[in-house]
Amino acid sequence: MNDAIARCWHCAEAIPANVHVQVEVAGGAHSFCCNGCAAAAQWIDGLGLADYYRLRNAPAARASADTRVADIWQRAELVREVVRDIGEDRCEAMLAIDGVRCAACVWLIERALGAERGVETIQVNASSRRARIVWNPQTTSLAALLGALARAGYTALPLSAPALDDARRREARTAMKRLVVAGFGAMQAMMYASALYFGAVEHMDATTRAGLRWLGLLVATPVVFYAAQPFFVGAWRALRAHTLAMDVPVALAVLAVYFASVYAALHGRGEVYFDSVSMFVFFLLAGRYLEMRARHRAGDLTDSLARLAPTQAERVRENDGTLERVAAAELLVGDLVHVAEGGIVPADGVLESARCRVDEALLSGESSPQRKLSGEEMIAGSVLLEGPARVRVRRVGAATMLAGILRLVARAQAERPRLACAGDRAVKHFVVRVLALAALCALGWLWVDPTRAFDATLAVLVVSCPCAFALAVPAAITQALAALARRDVLVVHPDAIENLAGATHVVFDKTGTLTEPRLALGDVVAEPRMCAQRALAIASALARQSRHPLAIAIATATDDTRCHAEQVVASVGGGLAGNVDGHRYRLGRARFALGEEAIDDDAVVLADDSGLLARLPLTERLRPGAREVVASLRAQGLHIAIVSGDAPTKVRAIAEQLDIADWHARQLPADKLARLHSLRATGARVVMIGDGINDAPVLAGADVAVAMAGGADIAQTASDVVLAGDRFDALTNARAIAIETLAVLRQNQRWALFYNLAAVPLAALGFVPGWLAAIGMSASSLVVVINALRIGRQPEFAHAAPTVLPLHSPRNAT
Amino acid sequence: MNILVLLIPLSLLFLVGAGIAFFWAVDHDQFDDMETPRLMPLADVNPPAHAQASSDAEQTDEKT
Repeated sequence: MNDAIARCWHCAEAIPANVHVQVEVAGGAHSFCCNGCAAAAQWIDGLGLADYYRLRNAPAARASADTRVADIWQRAELVREVVRDIGEDRCEAMLAIDGVRCAACVWLIERALGAERGVETIQVNASSRRARIVWNPQTTSLAALLGALARAGYTALPLSAPALDDARRREARTAMKRLVVAGFGAMQAMMYASALYFGAVEHMDATTRAGLRWLGLLVATPVVFYAAQPFFVGAWRALRAHTLAMDVPVALAVLAVYFASVYAALHGRGEVYFDSVSMFVFFLLAGRYLEMRARHRAGDLTDSLARLAPTQAERVRENDGTLERVAAAELLVGDLVHVAEGGIVPADGVLESARCRVDEALLSGESSPQRKLSGEEMIAGSVLLEGPARVRVRRVGAATMLAGILRLVARAQAERPRLACAGDRAVKHFVVRVLALAALCALGWLWVDPTRAFDATLAVLVVSCPCAFALAVPAAITQALAALARRDVLVVHPDAIENLAGATHVVFDKTGTLTEPRLALGDVVAEPRMCAQRALAIASALARQSRHPLAIAIATATDDTRCHAEQVVASVGGGLAGNVDGHRYRLGRARFALGEEAIDDDAVVLADDSGLLARLPLTERLRPGAREVVASLRAQGLHIAIVSGDAPTKVRAIAEQLDIADWHARQLPADKLARLHSLRATGARVVMIGDGINDAPVLAGADVAVAMAGGADIAQTASDVVLAGDRFDALTNARAIAIETLAVLRQNQRWALFYNLAAVPLAALGFVPGWLAAIGMSASSLVVVINALRIGRQPEFAHAAPTVLPLHSPRNAT
Repeated sequence: MNILVLLIPLSLLFLVGAGIAFFWAVDHDQFDDMETPRLMPLADVNPPAHAQASSDAEQTDEKT
C-alpha cells in the first residue's frame, strides 16, 4: 500500500501539496490533510484513544474544523424535543451518528464520550448508527456532548423523543423471544412424539403413552399461547376488517390442531399433534423473523438524519449583519440566510450574492454543478459547491420544492396498486372450501353414523390443515429473503419478489444510478507540443490545491505527484492558475484558460500563455457492472429505458454506451411519474431503479422500486428493494432469485393442492386413522420447506466483490 | 424405564432454565448489537492513560 500520494492519517484523503500539517500524535509525526483532521487526531490521542487507528478497518470521515454545528442544541426549545428526563438528575437522548464506519468508531465514541464529565452511560450500535447516552444535566449539556463528538469527526443529531421508546427494538426482542420459545417447544414436542411413534410399534404401555401425551401438551401450550400470538392477533384484525388474510387459516389450523390434541390427551383416545403444531409455528415465526430483520436493516439505512433532525441555517440579522444559528424550520419568508461553501441551502429562495455554484444532482438529476447568478432561484436541499452565498428566503416548509416532491411520493404510494400476494389469494379460496367440506363431512356423518362424526371431521381438518399451503409461500419467500440479503439486496416489501419476477419493463435513472455519483476524468486530449501524461501531471498538481469537485476528480485521476504547483490562485467560477516548474499554467473553463472568445463547454482545459495545451473531459463514468446488468436484463426479454432529469446530450451519451434506444431527458419528478403511469396503462409491469430525491415519486409509484443504498434517503424510503453496498450486479442476481422463488412457490402450491386432493376425500370418508393424518401433515409440510431451501443455492452470476476492507494499518499507508 | 420419571422432569427443568436465561439475556441488551462487541476484546480493557496507550500503539505498529 505504498501510495505515491501522501494520505491523511485520519481520513486517508490525499493531502494537497501546499498543505503541511504535521502533528506529533500517537508516538510519531503524522501528516494531515487539514487542521480539522489534525485536531481530531490530537484530541483522540490526548484522551489516550490512539488505538482507534489500529482497530479501525475503514478511514474516518473528514473531520470538520467547524464544531459550531453543535451550538444550535443550546436552544432550549429544540432540546426539549429530543431529551427525556429520567429522574435523579439524569437525562437520556438517542443520537443518530453520521460517519460511523466500523467497530473502531464505536469504540472511539464510547471511550471519548465516556471520558466527558457527567456522562453516565453510552451505548453505540454500529449497525444502526445510533447511540444512547445518559448524562447528568447539572454537569454537562447536550450541546457539549455533541461538540465533543464533532471534535472527534462525527456529526451527531439527536432523534426526536418518540425514538427513545424504540418500538423497533422492542419488536425485535419480542420476536426473538417468541422464536426461541417456539424452537424449544418444537424440539421437545418432537422428542416426545418420536417416542410415541416408536411406542406405537413396540407396544408401549398405556401409562407411559398417556404420560408422553401430557408432556407434549405441557411443552406445546406456551408455543401456542405465547409464541403463536402474532397469528391470532393478525387473524382477529383481519376478521374484524371482514377479510381473510394469511393469518386466518394459520390461526385456525393452530387452534384446531391444538384443541383436538388436547381433547385426545384428556380422553386418552385419538392422536395428539403437539409436535406438528409447534413445528408449524416455529417455521412461520422464523420466516417472520427474517422478514423483520430485513425490514429493520433497511429502516436503519433510511433513518435519514435530514428527516429526523432540524437542519440548520445561518440567519443574517437585519440590524447589524451578524450571523445567528437557527433551525431551518424557524426561518420566515423574507429572511436573509448565509450559506457557507459545502453547506446545504436551507429553504427555497433567491440568490442575493453575485454568483455561486450548486449541486442539485439529487433534486433534479442534473449531473453537472449548476452556475447561479444573482437573482436566480435556489432550491432547498441543494449543496453549495462554490460560495459563500446569501439567499433571500422565498418559500419555507411545506411550500418548498422538496416538500412538493415529498407530497408527490405520498400520493404515488397511496395510488400504488399492491398486488394481493399470490399465496394469500390461493389460501383464501382453500380455507373457505376446506371449512365447507368439513361442515359437509360432519353433517354427512351425523346423518350416517353420529359416533364417527367427530373423528372424521377432525381428520379432514388435520389432513387438510393448511400447513403445507400456509407454509408454501412463506417458506419460499423466507429463503429468498435470506439468499438475497447474502447478496447485498435488502427486500423491504416481500411482494417485490413476485413483481420482480413478473416484470416486463426496467426503467433506470441515470445520474447516480447508471453512472457513478462523482465525475471522472475521461481520455486526455493533448496538443502536439505536449504529451498527455505530462499534461495530466501538471493539471493534477494544480488541481491538488483546490477542493472543487472538478479539481478533485482531476487530482485523483493520477498517482504521479512529481510536479508541484506554486503561487496557485483560484478564480471563482473560472479555474486555477499557478506555476509548475517555473512555467505559468491555467486550468479551468475554456473561457478562463484561453480568454473570452473561447467556447465554453463541459471540458476543463489546460493552457499556458501561448494557448491550448490539453483538454481534460470530465465525464460521468458508468457504474461498474452497469453494462453487464443492462445486457443481461435485455437478454431476459425486458424492455430497458432511461428516464433522467439531466440534459439530453448527457443522457444520450450514456444511452448510446449502453445501447438503450428508449431514453428521456429533462424529466421533472411529475413527468417521470406521468411516464410511468402511461407505461402501466399499456399493461407493463415496471421495475424502477433510482437514487435521487427526484426519483422518489416515480419509485413510490412503480411495481417494484429499487434504490441504491448510497442515494437519497427519501428514495430508499419509497423503495421495496435496496441495493446495499452499491453493487449493481446484485440486481441480476435478485431477478434470477425472484424467478426461481416464484417457480418454487408454484411447485409448493401444486404439491399442497395435490396432497390435499388425494388425502381429504379419504379422510372425509373415514379411511384415515389419526396417526396417518399426523404423519401426512408433517410430511407434506416438510416437503414444502425442503423444496424452498433450494432457492439461492446456485452460485452467483457475478463474482462477489469483497465487502470487508482489510484491517487498516496507518503506518503502511504512509 | 423408571429412569424416565427422573430424566424427563430434569430435562424440562433445564429447558425452563435455558428459557429464563435467554429471556434475561434479551432483556439485558445482549442481542441488540451482534456486530460491535466482537472487536472489543482487541482493544484495551480500560480506557488507558495516555502514555500507556501510545506505547501500546507503537508496539503493535511495529508488529504489523
